[in-house]
Amino acid sequence: MSTEKSQESKRGVSQSPKYMLIFPLLVLVIYGVLFLLIPEQAMVALKNSGKVCLNILLPLALVFVVMLALNLFVKPAQIVHLLGSGANIKGILLSVAAGIISMGPIYIWYPLLKDLREKGAGNMPIAVFLYNRAVKPFLLPVMIVYFGWLYVGILTVLTVLASVVSGYFVAMLAKRKTG
Amino acid sequence: MKIAISTERADLASNVADRFGLSPYLLVVDTQTMDFKALANPRALSRPSAGVQAVVFAISEGVEVVLTGYCGPAAYDQLVSNGIKVITNVSGIAEEAIKKYKAGGFSQGLAVEEEKEQTTRYVNRGTLVRALRSSVRQFANILPIMIGVVLCIGLFNAFVSTEALASIFSGNVVGDTLWGACFGSILAGNPINSYVIGAALLNHGISLFAVTAFIITWVTVGLVQLPAEIASLGLRFALLRNALCLVLAVPVAILTVMLLNFIIG
Repeated sequence: MSTEKSQESKRGVSQSPKYMLIFPLLVLVIYGVLFLLIPEQAMVALKNSGKVCLNILLPLALVFVVMLALNLFVKPAQIVHLLGSGANIKGILLSVAAGIISMGPIYIWYPLLKDLREKGAGNMPIAVFLYNRAVKPFLLPVMIVYFGWLYVGILTVLTVLASVVSGYFVAMLAKRKTG
Repeated sequence: MKIAISTERADLASNVADRFGLSPYLLVVDTQTMDFKALANPRALSRPSAGVQAVVFAISEGVEVVLTGYCGPAAYDQLVSNGIKVITNVSGIAEEAIKKYKAGGFSQGLAVEEEKEQTTRYVNRGTLVRALRSSVRQFANILPIMIGVVLCIGLFNAFVSTEALASIFSGNVVGDTLWGACFGSILAGNPINSYVIGAALLNHGISLFAVTAFIITWVTVGLVQLPAEIASLGLRFALLRNALCLVLAVPVAILTVMLLNFIIG
Protein backbone atom coordinates (compact mmCIF):
# COMPACT_ATOMS: atom_id res chain seq x y z
CA MET A 1 0.00 0.00 0.00
CA SER A 2 1.22 3.46 -0.77
CA THR A 3 -0.67 5.41 1.84
CA GLU A 4 2.02 7.90 2.77
CA LYS A 5 1.12 11.50 2.36
CA SER A 6 3.22 13.76 0.20
CA GLN A 7 4.70 16.56 2.25
CA GLU A 8 6.98 17.97 -0.41
CA SER A 9 4.74 20.76 -1.56
CA LYS A 10 4.84 22.21 1.93
CA ARG A 11 8.57 22.63 1.56
CA GLY A 12 8.38 24.06 -1.94
CA VAL A 13 8.39 27.73 -2.70
CA SER A 14 4.93 29.14 -2.18
CA GLN A 15 2.95 30.04 -5.27
CA SER A 16 0.79 32.45 -3.33
CA PRO A 17 0.33 35.79 -5.13
CA LYS A 18 1.33 37.55 -1.87
CA TYR A 19 4.81 35.99 -1.92
CA MET A 20 5.23 36.67 -5.61
CA LEU A 21 4.52 40.35 -5.07
CA ILE A 22 7.09 40.82 -2.29
CA PHE A 23 10.06 41.00 -4.65
CA PRO A 24 8.66 43.52 -7.18
CA LEU A 25 7.24 45.61 -4.32
CA LEU A 26 10.65 45.68 -2.63
CA VAL A 27 12.23 46.85 -5.88
CA LEU A 28 9.58 49.56 -6.19
CA VAL A 29 10.37 50.73 -2.66
CA ILE A 30 14.05 50.94 -3.62
CA TYR A 31 13.07 53.01 -6.66
CA GLY A 32 10.95 55.24 -4.42
CA VAL A 33 13.88 55.88 -2.08
CA LEU A 34 16.23 56.50 -5.00
CA PHE A 35 13.83 58.98 -6.56
CA LEU A 36 13.85 60.92 -3.30
CA LEU A 37 17.64 60.83 -2.89
CA ILE A 38 19.08 60.83 -6.42
CA PRO A 39 16.20 61.42 -8.86
CA GLU A 40 18.37 61.80 -11.97
CA GLN A 41 20.07 58.44 -11.65
CA ALA A 42 16.81 56.79 -10.61
CA MET A 43 15.24 58.10 -13.82
CA VAL A 44 18.14 56.63 -15.82
CA ALA A 45 17.50 53.27 -14.13
CA LEU A 46 13.78 53.47 -14.89
CA LYS A 47 14.46 54.31 -18.54
CA ASN A 48 16.84 51.35 -18.73
CA SER A 49 14.08 49.11 -17.41
CA GLY A 50 11.65 50.52 -19.96
CA LYS A 51 14.04 49.62 -22.78
CA VAL A 52 14.41 46.06 -21.48
CA CYS A 53 10.62 45.85 -21.21
CA LEU A 54 10.06 46.98 -24.81
CA ASN A 55 12.59 44.42 -26.05
CA ILE A 56 10.75 41.49 -24.52
CA LEU A 57 7.12 42.42 -25.27
CA LEU A 58 6.86 40.60 -28.59
CA PRO A 59 8.76 37.49 -27.43
CA LEU A 60 6.49 37.39 -24.37
CA ALA A 61 3.43 37.30 -26.64
CA LEU A 62 4.97 34.32 -28.43
CA VAL A 63 5.67 32.74 -25.06
CA PHE A 64 1.96 32.89 -24.27
CA VAL A 65 1.01 31.27 -27.61
CA VAL A 66 3.45 28.36 -27.19
CA MET A 67 2.40 27.99 -23.54
CA LEU A 68 -1.24 27.71 -24.64
CA ALA A 69 -0.37 25.10 -27.29
CA LEU A 70 1.51 23.01 -24.73
CA ASN A 71 -1.35 23.28 -22.24
CA LEU A 72 -3.77 22.17 -24.95
CA PHE A 73 -1.88 19.17 -26.22
CA VAL A 74 0.36 18.00 -23.37
CA LYS A 75 -1.09 16.55 -20.17
CA PRO A 76 0.93 15.89 -16.98
CA ALA A 77 -0.31 12.29 -16.91
CA GLN A 78 1.16 11.72 -20.38
CA ILE A 79 4.49 13.17 -19.24
CA VAL A 80 4.65 10.90 -16.21
CA HIS A 81 3.75 8.00 -18.48
CA LEU A 82 6.73 8.89 -20.71
CA LEU A 83 9.03 8.94 -17.70
CA GLY A 84 8.15 5.45 -16.59
CA SER A 85 9.56 3.85 -19.71
CA GLY A 86 12.81 2.53 -18.23
CA ALA A 87 16.51 3.27 -18.67
CA ASN A 88 16.98 1.92 -22.21
CA ILE A 89 17.56 4.22 -25.19
CA LYS A 90 13.82 4.61 -25.80
CA GLY A 91 13.25 5.35 -22.12
CA ILE A 92 16.00 7.98 -22.06
CA LEU A 93 14.67 9.68 -25.19
CA LEU A 94 11.20 9.73 -23.67
CA SER A 95 12.62 11.22 -20.45
CA VAL A 96 14.32 13.93 -22.54
CA ALA A 97 11.00 14.67 -24.24
CA ALA A 98 9.15 14.66 -20.91
CA GLY A 99 11.64 17.12 -19.38
CA ILE A 100 11.42 19.46 -22.36
CA ILE A 101 7.63 19.61 -22.55
CA SER A 102 7.02 19.67 -18.79
CA MET A 103 5.81 23.00 -17.48
CA GLY A 104 5.26 24.73 -14.17
CA PRO A 105 7.55 25.04 -11.16
CA ILE A 106 9.75 22.10 -10.32
CA TYR A 107 8.28 21.49 -6.86
CA ILE A 108 4.96 20.47 -8.44
CA TRP A 109 6.81 17.61 -10.10
CA TYR A 110 8.62 16.27 -7.03
CA PRO A 111 5.64 14.29 -5.62
CA LEU A 112 5.07 12.68 -9.02
CA LEU A 113 8.76 11.84 -9.42
CA LYS A 114 8.77 10.32 -5.96
CA ASP A 115 5.76 8.23 -6.86
CA LEU A 116 7.49 7.09 -10.05
CA ARG A 117 10.61 6.18 -8.11
CA GLU A 118 8.50 4.05 -5.77
CA LYS A 119 7.02 2.31 -8.78
CA GLY A 120 10.50 1.33 -9.96
CA ALA A 121 11.63 4.18 -12.23
CA GLY A 122 15.44 4.44 -12.10
CA ASN A 123 17.63 7.40 -11.17
CA MET A 124 18.76 7.96 -14.76
CA PRO A 125 15.40 8.88 -16.32
CA ILE A 126 14.56 11.11 -13.37
CA ALA A 127 17.93 12.92 -13.55
CA VAL A 128 17.59 13.25 -17.33
CA PHE A 129 14.08 14.65 -16.89
CA LEU A 130 15.23 17.24 -14.33
CA TYR A 131 18.16 18.39 -16.50
CA ASN A 132 16.02 18.78 -19.60
CA ARG A 133 13.75 21.20 -17.80
CA ALA A 134 16.47 23.70 -18.80
CA VAL A 135 15.14 23.44 -22.37
CA LYS A 136 11.94 25.44 -22.45
CA PRO A 137 10.27 25.55 -25.89
CA PHE A 138 7.85 28.27 -24.83
CA LEU A 139 10.72 30.54 -23.71
CA LEU A 140 12.85 30.04 -26.82
CA PRO A 141 11.51 33.24 -28.50
CA VAL A 142 12.89 35.35 -25.63
CA MET A 143 16.19 33.49 -25.60
CA ILE A 144 16.58 33.88 -29.36
CA VAL A 145 15.93 37.64 -29.17
CA TYR A 146 18.74 38.00 -26.64
CA PHE A 147 21.31 35.45 -27.83
CA GLY A 148 20.49 34.52 -31.44
CA TRP A 149 19.35 31.34 -33.19
CA LEU A 150 22.73 29.74 -33.48
CA TYR A 151 23.63 30.10 -29.82
CA VAL A 152 20.23 28.81 -28.70
CA GLY A 153 20.46 25.86 -31.11
CA ILE A 154 23.94 24.85 -29.92
CA LEU A 155 23.06 25.28 -26.25
CA THR A 156 19.85 23.26 -26.65
CA VAL A 157 21.62 20.34 -28.34
CA LEU A 158 24.44 20.35 -25.78
CA THR A 159 21.96 20.59 -22.90
CA VAL A 160 20.15 17.49 -24.13
CA LEU A 161 23.47 15.62 -24.50
CA ALA A 162 24.63 16.80 -21.08
CA SER A 163 21.37 15.58 -19.57
CA VAL A 164 22.21 12.04 -20.64
CA VAL A 165 25.75 12.36 -19.26
CA SER A 166 24.40 13.72 -15.99
CA GLY A 167 21.76 10.97 -15.80
CA TYR A 168 24.36 8.28 -16.45
CA PHE A 169 26.75 9.50 -13.76
CA VAL A 170 24.00 10.13 -11.21
CA ALA A 171 22.69 6.59 -11.75
CA MET A 172 26.20 5.09 -11.63
CA LEU A 173 27.40 6.96 -8.54
CA ALA A 174 24.13 6.54 -6.64
CA LYS A 175 24.27 2.80 -7.36
CA ARG A 176 27.93 2.51 -6.37
CA LYS A 177 27.38 4.28 -3.07
CA THR A 178 24.30 2.19 -2.35
CA GLY A 179 26.04 -1.02 -3.17
CA MET B 1 -10.40 -6.13 -13.71
CA LYS B 2 -9.18 -3.21 -11.61
CA ILE B 3 -11.54 -0.53 -10.38
CA ALA B 4 -10.47 2.74 -8.75
CA ILE B 5 -12.87 4.19 -6.22
CA SER B 6 -12.58 7.46 -4.30
CA THR B 7 -13.06 6.92 -0.56
CA GLU B 8 -13.00 8.72 2.77
CA ARG B 9 -10.74 6.11 4.44
CA ALA B 10 -8.17 3.56 3.26
CA ASP B 11 -10.48 0.54 3.43
CA LEU B 12 -13.39 -0.97 1.55
CA ALA B 13 -15.83 -0.34 4.42
CA SER B 14 -15.36 3.39 3.90
CA ASN B 15 -17.91 5.67 2.25
CA VAL B 16 -17.39 6.69 -1.35
CA ALA B 17 -15.89 10.21 -1.45
CA ASP B 18 -17.67 12.97 -3.31
CA ARG B 19 -14.83 14.19 -5.52
CA PHE B 20 -12.34 12.06 -7.43
CA GLY B 21 -9.40 14.48 -7.45
CA LEU B 22 -9.89 15.76 -3.91
CA SER B 23 -10.92 12.56 -2.13
CA PRO B 24 -8.80 11.59 0.90
CA TYR B 25 -8.05 8.16 -0.56
CA LEU B 26 -8.17 6.38 -3.87
CA LEU B 27 -8.53 2.59 -3.67
CA VAL B 28 -7.56 0.39 -6.60
CA VAL B 29 -9.52 -2.82 -6.20
CA ASP B 30 -9.06 -6.12 -8.01
CA THR B 31 -12.65 -7.22 -8.63
CA GLN B 32 -11.70 -10.91 -8.68
CA THR B 33 -9.99 -11.08 -5.30
CA MET B 34 -11.20 -7.77 -3.79
CA ASP B 35 -7.56 -7.06 -2.84
CA PHE B 36 -6.82 -3.34 -2.93
CA LYS B 37 -4.11 -0.70 -2.88
CA ALA B 38 -4.71 2.73 -1.36
CA LEU B 39 -3.28 6.11 -2.35
CA ALA B 40 -3.46 8.89 0.19
CA ASN B 41 -4.38 11.94 -1.83
CA PRO B 42 -2.35 15.05 -1.00
CA ARG B 43 -5.43 17.24 -1.54
CA ALA B 44 -4.93 19.43 1.52
CA LEU B 45 -1.35 20.23 0.60
CA SER B 46 -1.31 20.71 -3.11
CA ARG B 47 -4.69 21.22 -4.66
CA PRO B 48 -3.53 21.82 -8.26
CA SER B 49 -1.58 18.53 -8.42
CA ALA B 50 -3.94 16.38 -6.34
CA GLY B 51 -6.16 15.51 -9.31
CA VAL B 52 -3.15 14.85 -11.51
CA GLN B 53 -1.68 12.46 -8.95
CA ALA B 54 -4.96 10.58 -8.68
CA VAL B 55 -5.14 10.28 -12.47
CA VAL B 56 -1.52 9.16 -12.70
CA PHE B 57 -2.12 6.58 -9.97
CA ALA B 58 -5.19 5.21 -11.77
CA ILE B 59 -3.38 5.01 -15.12
CA SER B 60 -0.21 3.46 -13.73
CA GLU B 61 -2.20 0.82 -11.83
CA GLY B 62 -3.96 -0.30 -15.02
CA VAL B 63 -7.40 0.72 -13.82
CA GLU B 64 -10.28 0.15 -16.25
CA VAL B 65 -13.13 1.83 -14.38
CA VAL B 66 -13.33 4.74 -11.94
CA LEU B 67 -16.24 4.95 -9.49
CA THR B 68 -16.74 8.27 -7.74
CA GLY B 69 -19.28 10.85 -6.66
CA TYR B 70 -18.04 13.55 -9.01
CA CYS B 71 -15.11 13.83 -11.41
CA GLY B 72 -13.86 17.24 -12.55
CA PRO B 73 -13.69 17.84 -16.31
CA ALA B 74 -9.86 17.95 -16.48
CA ALA B 75 -9.46 14.62 -14.65
CA TYR B 76 -12.37 13.18 -16.64
CA ASP B 77 -10.71 14.11 -19.95
CA GLN B 78 -7.43 12.51 -18.92
CA LEU B 79 -9.04 9.32 -17.64
CA VAL B 80 -11.24 8.87 -20.72
CA SER B 81 -8.37 9.67 -23.10
CA ASN B 82 -6.44 6.87 -21.38
CA GLY B 83 -9.29 4.41 -22.00
CA ILE B 84 -10.71 4.48 -18.46
CA LYS B 85 -14.48 4.50 -17.93
CA VAL B 86 -15.67 7.06 -15.42
CA ILE B 87 -18.89 6.44 -13.50
CA THR B 88 -20.11 9.31 -11.35
CA ASN B 89 -22.96 9.79 -8.87
CA VAL B 90 -21.69 6.78 -6.90
CA SER B 91 -22.30 6.89 -3.15
CA GLY B 92 -22.56 4.59 -0.12
CA ILE B 93 -20.06 1.98 1.07
CA ALA B 94 -17.16 1.38 -1.35
CA GLU B 95 -17.36 -2.42 -1.24
CA GLU B 96 -21.09 -2.36 -1.96
CA ALA B 97 -20.59 0.11 -4.81
CA ILE B 98 -18.08 -2.25 -6.42
CA LYS B 99 -20.42 -5.22 -6.02
CA LYS B 100 -23.20 -3.14 -7.52
CA TYR B 101 -20.99 -2.28 -10.48
CA LYS B 102 -20.08 -5.95 -10.97
CA ALA B 103 -23.81 -6.77 -11.01
CA GLY B 104 -24.37 -4.12 -13.70
CA GLY B 105 -26.14 -1.77 -11.33
CA PHE B 106 -24.80 1.53 -12.63
CA SER B 107 -26.73 1.81 -15.89
CA GLN B 108 -27.63 5.39 -15.05
CA GLY B 109 -24.02 6.32 -14.52
CA LEU B 110 -22.99 4.65 -17.75
CA ALA B 111 -25.70 6.53 -19.57
CA VAL B 112 -24.27 9.78 -18.24
CA GLU B 113 -20.81 8.74 -19.41
CA GLU B 114 -22.04 7.85 -22.91
CA GLU B 115 -23.83 11.17 -23.10
CA LYS B 116 -20.58 12.91 -22.19
CA GLU B 117 -18.75 11.01 -24.93
CA GLN B 118 -21.35 12.13 -27.47
CA THR B 119 -20.81 15.76 -26.48
CA THR B 120 -17.14 15.69 -27.37
CA ARG B 121 -17.44 19.12 -28.98
CA TYR B 122 -18.32 20.63 -25.65
CA VAL B 123 -15.49 18.75 -23.94
CA ASN B 124 -13.05 20.11 -26.55
CA ARG B 125 -14.31 23.64 -26.03
CA GLY B 126 -13.93 23.07 -22.31
CA THR B 127 -10.38 21.85 -22.87
CA LEU B 128 -9.57 25.05 -24.74
CA VAL B 129 -11.03 27.20 -21.98
CA ARG B 130 -9.07 25.26 -19.34
CA ALA B 131 -5.86 25.53 -21.37
CA LEU B 132 -6.43 29.28 -21.72
CA ARG B 133 -7.04 29.65 -18.00
CA SER B 134 -3.96 27.56 -17.25
CA SER B 135 -1.81 29.64 -19.60
CA VAL B 136 -3.09 32.93 -18.18
CA ARG B 137 -2.39 31.66 -14.65
CA GLN B 138 1.14 30.49 -15.57
CA PHE B 139 1.77 33.77 -17.36
CA ALA B 140 0.46 35.76 -14.41
CA ASN B 141 2.80 33.76 -12.16
CA ILE B 142 5.78 34.75 -14.30
CA LEU B 143 4.95 38.46 -14.55
CA PRO B 144 5.40 39.89 -11.00
CA ILE B 145 8.89 38.44 -10.55
CA MET B 146 9.75 39.31 -14.12
CA ILE B 147 8.73 42.94 -13.61
CA GLY B 148 10.90 42.99 -10.48
CA VAL B 149 13.82 41.54 -12.42
CA VAL B 150 13.43 44.08 -15.25
CA LEU B 151 13.37 46.92 -12.72
CA CYS B 152 16.49 45.43 -11.08
CA ILE B 153 18.23 45.32 -14.45
CA GLY B 154 17.54 49.04 -14.76
CA LEU B 155 19.16 49.63 -11.36
CA PHE B 156 22.00 47.29 -12.21
CA ASN B 157 22.75 49.10 -15.47
CA ALA B 158 22.57 52.50 -13.81
CA PHE B 159 24.55 51.80 -10.65
CA VAL B 160 26.88 48.83 -11.13
CA SER B 161 30.06 49.72 -12.94
CA THR B 162 31.92 47.49 -15.32
CA GLU B 163 34.98 47.91 -13.08
CA ALA B 164 33.12 46.44 -10.11
CA LEU B 165 32.12 43.39 -12.13
CA ALA B 166 35.66 43.03 -13.46
CA SER B 167 36.83 42.51 -9.88
CA ILE B 168 34.78 39.25 -9.80
CA PHE B 169 34.97 38.22 -13.43
CA SER B 170 38.67 38.50 -14.18
CA GLY B 171 38.62 37.28 -17.78
CA ASN B 172 39.86 33.79 -16.97
CA VAL B 173 37.60 31.44 -18.99
CA VAL B 174 37.36 28.60 -16.47
CA GLY B 175 37.23 30.87 -13.42
CA ASP B 176 34.56 33.15 -14.91
CA THR B 177 32.50 30.20 -16.09
CA LEU B 178 32.64 28.65 -12.64
CA TRP B 179 31.55 31.97 -11.08
CA GLY B 180 28.67 32.16 -13.56
CA ALA B 181 27.66 28.59 -12.68
CA CYS B 182 27.76 29.39 -8.96
CA PHE B 183 25.58 32.49 -9.34
CA GLY B 184 23.05 30.52 -11.40
CA SER B 185 22.93 27.80 -8.73
CA ILE B 186 22.07 30.26 -5.98
CA LEU B 187 19.36 32.08 -7.91
CA ALA B 188 16.11 30.42 -8.89
CA GLY B 189 12.82 31.13 -10.59
CA ASN B 190 11.48 31.13 -14.11
CA PRO B 191 14.32 30.65 -16.66
CA ILE B 192 13.15 33.73 -18.58
CA ASN B 193 14.66 35.83 -15.79
CA SER B 194 18.04 34.18 -16.30
CA TYR B 195 17.97 35.24 -19.97
CA VAL B 196 17.19 38.87 -19.08
CA ILE B 197 19.88 38.96 -16.38
CA GLY B 198 22.33 37.11 -18.66
CA ALA B 199 21.83 39.68 -21.41
CA ALA B 200 22.43 42.51 -18.93
CA LEU B 201 25.65 40.83 -17.75
CA LEU B 202 26.79 40.50 -21.38
CA ASN B 203 26.19 44.23 -21.88
CA HIS B 204 28.50 44.85 -18.93
CA GLY B 205 31.28 42.91 -20.61
CA ILE B 206 30.92 39.63 -18.74
CA SER B 207 32.01 36.78 -21.00
CA LEU B 208 29.48 34.57 -22.79
CA PHE B 209 31.15 31.60 -21.06
CA ALA B 210 30.06 32.87 -17.65
CA VAL B 211 26.61 33.91 -18.85
CA THR B 212 26.01 30.51 -20.46
CA ALA B 213 27.00 28.67 -17.28
CA PHE B 214 24.73 31.04 -15.34
CA ILE B 215 21.75 30.21 -17.61
CA ILE B 216 22.41 26.44 -17.43
CA THR B 217 22.67 26.21 -13.65
CA TRP B 218 19.70 28.55 -13.10
CA VAL B 219 17.49 25.55 -13.94
CA THR B 220 19.66 22.47 -13.52
CA VAL B 221 21.02 23.29 -10.06
CA GLY B 222 18.59 24.37 -7.39
CA LEU B 223 19.94 25.29 -3.98
CA VAL B 224 16.63 26.90 -3.04
CA GLN B 225 14.65 23.78 -3.98
CA LEU B 226 17.26 21.39 -2.57
CA PRO B 227 15.29 20.59 0.64
CA ALA B 228 12.23 19.66 -1.45
CA GLU B 229 14.36 17.54 -3.80
CA ILE B 230 16.03 15.77 -0.88
CA ALA B 231 12.64 15.05 0.71
CA SER B 232 11.26 13.59 -2.52
CA LEU B 233 14.20 11.85 -4.13
CA GLY B 234 16.63 11.29 -1.28
CA LEU B 235 19.72 13.06 0.06
CA ARG B 236 22.23 11.07 -2.02
CA PHE B 237 20.38 11.51 -5.28
CA ALA B 238 19.72 15.22 -4.75
CA LEU B 239 23.29 16.09 -3.70
CA LEU B 240 24.87 13.99 -6.43
CA ARG B 241 22.59 15.39 -9.11
CA ASN B 242 23.08 19.02 -8.12
CA ALA B 243 26.86 18.66 -7.72
CA LEU B 244 27.20 16.92 -11.09
CA CYS B 245 25.05 19.52 -12.81
CA LEU B 246 27.16 22.33 -11.33
CA VAL B 247 30.40 20.71 -12.51
CA LEU B 248 28.92 19.78 -15.89
CA ALA B 249 27.77 23.35 -16.53
CA VAL B 250 31.39 24.50 -16.94
CA PRO B 251 32.38 22.24 -19.88
CA VAL B 252 28.94 22.60 -21.48
CA ALA B 253 29.21 26.40 -21.36
CA ILE B 254 32.78 26.40 -22.68
CA LEU B 255 31.87 23.96 -25.46
CA THR B 256 28.79 25.99 -26.42
CA VAL B 257 30.74 29.22 -26.83
CA MET B 258 33.68 27.51 -28.56
CA LEU B 259 31.33 25.86 -31.06
CA LEU B 260 29.55 29.16 -31.61
CA ASN B 261 32.84 30.95 -32.24
CA PHE B 262 34.02 28.14 -34.51
CA ILE B 263 30.83 28.28 -36.63
CA ILE B 264 30.74 32.07 -36.81
CA GLY B 265 34.44 32.02 -37.63
